[in-house]
Amino acid sequence: MDSVIHTWNLAKSYRGRPALRGIDLAVPRNVVFGYLGPNGAGKTTTIRLLAGLIRPTAGHAEIFGLDVVHEREQAQCRIGYLPGEFVAYPDLTGQQYLRYLAHLRGGVDWSLVERIAKRLDLDLSVRYGAMSHGNRQKIGIAQAFMHRPDLLILDESTAGLDPLIQREFLGMVRDARDDGRTVFLSSHILYEVEAVADIVAILRHGQLVVVESVDKLKTQAVRRIDLTFEGAPPLGELREVPAVRDIRLSGSTAHLVVEGSTAQLFAVAAPHRIAQVVTHEPDLEEIFMAYYGQEAQP
Amino acid sequence: MLRSVFRKSLRDQRRALVGWSIGIVLLILLEAALWPSIRDMPDLSQFLQSYPESMRKLFNLEDFGTGTGFLNAELFSAMLPILFIVFAIGRGARSVAGEEEAGTLDVLLMTRVSPVRLVLQQAAALATAVFALGTVLFAAVLACSAAFGLGIGAADLAGGALAMVLLGLEFGWLALAVGAATGRRALAIGVASAAAVAAYVLYVAGQLVDAVKPWQPLSPFQQALDGGPLGAGLPAAYGWMPLAGAVVVALVLPVFNGRDIAAH
Repeated sequence: MDSVIHTWNLAKSYRGRPALRGIDLAVPRNVVFGYLGPNGAGKTTTIRLLAGLIRPTAGHAEIFGLDVVHEREQAQCRIGYLPGEFVAYPDLTGQQYLRYLAHLRGGVDWSLVERIAKRLDLDLSVRYGAMSHGNRQKIGIAQAFMHRPDLLILDESTAGLDPLIQREFLGMVRDARDDGRTVFLSSHILYEVEAVADIVAILRHGQLVVVESVDKLKTQAVRRIDLTFEGAPPLGELREVPAVRDIRLSGSTAHLVVEGSTAQLFAVAAPHRIAQVVTHEPDLEEIFMAYYGQEAQP
Repeated sequence: MLRSVFRKSLRDQRRALVGWSIGIVLLILLEAALWPSIRDMPDLSQFLQSYPESMRKLFNLEDFGTGTGFLNAELFSAMLPILFIVFAIGRGARSVAGEEEAGTLDVLLMTRVSPVRLVLQQAAALATAVFALGTVLFAAVLACSAAFGLGIGAADLAGGALAMVLLGLEFGWLALAVGAATGRRALAIGVASAAAVAAYVLYVAGQLVDAVKPWQPLSPFQQALDGGPLGAGLPAAYGWMPLAGAVVVALVLPVFNGRDIAAH
């Protein structure tokens, strides 16, 4: 069993309106899988299908080899799930709510819950109804992690968290992976996925646009490089380099857009006495836009 | 401790149950306190004769001169059935559809609680709550009967209270089932209330119109109120009410198990 999550042509329509148009996913064990897309792309639909809360219109999905429709209960026991819009009971304290879920799940080590609460700086004695949005979200995170599930499915998990807590949360995600577990993390915010994900999938209009390792995406990516020369930049020679997509001059600095390897570029530029090199690390945002751009222009 | 959906559901109902209990006790106290002056009215039977015949039939006013007949007419024929039905429908609609609309159902179903277990535990919790309210009714009438000399026996009273419980429970389970099938609380309340009104209309029509009489036993109100309910003993017809409610709940289990849970 290589894949923790496996889908075959998984599709879902709501009253005839397609939300997910047949996706084939294979999420390997022990990775953080970033599931990206703008709002309305079908992220939450995918996640609710995987969680067994809704039924596919076509295709099927397995989690740990368990069919999410016919073996739903067994599959659900192995998942820690954070809904996109997590809600708990307003009249229960964090402690009462998490104890309730611990009883319903069985086999929860309460000291782990306390460690999670401490790590997220969460006071469990407060009623959920009286909590801030950020603290409510922490309750949601705690309930997803509390039973040490083999697979975490987290939908827009950092919504409402302040940056410090966000970092702790991303640390928990990394720890889960280092522990041999698998994390399926959906988001429309790229940098948070970029920080932890090993593989990303980009979803658009209910279809997968790309599934790729983050490292590979970055090496394929278009990056921006600023070269400052001691003399006048050798504009003509730089233009000849195939990897250079675009070039702009400002004084003695050439602002270049480069795709792929930069080896030839530097071989050409070096004899002209480079005073300074500034490279801008490509972030997923640019990659994301590049994929969307391609899609947008038929 | 909240160890199960059943216990959590009972905990959620505790305030409502206390409030409804107080209301029912006060209502009974008020009616019972009226009894001594009604009983001592010198021309009671003449007064009752002046009511239209249909009213006398509907509320069984011939027996109004006894404590049992008095409470049957005043409370057990309309007021208490309605109160028990309203309580049960409200709780039933809330128990599954309410959770789904609030958005708390998602996480609940990810535990070992399956949709089927959820509905069954909620149905059991609803039954427990309605029985608890019935016990309050029983105790209150027994105490007031002793205090104001209504002379109602414990066995008669137990039958009457049970009729209220079972009548409420049938429509409460119906509301729970509609809520589980659709995920919509307002719809659950609407359907169950409409069914209760229809059942009441059938009961009243059967009482007043001979042509409808053969259909009257189909009405849960007829099953609950025929010949009493105080003093009717323990009619076999009582069995239809929980049976019909249980059948509706059972029918809805595969529907709830197979349908999409609405995203919040």
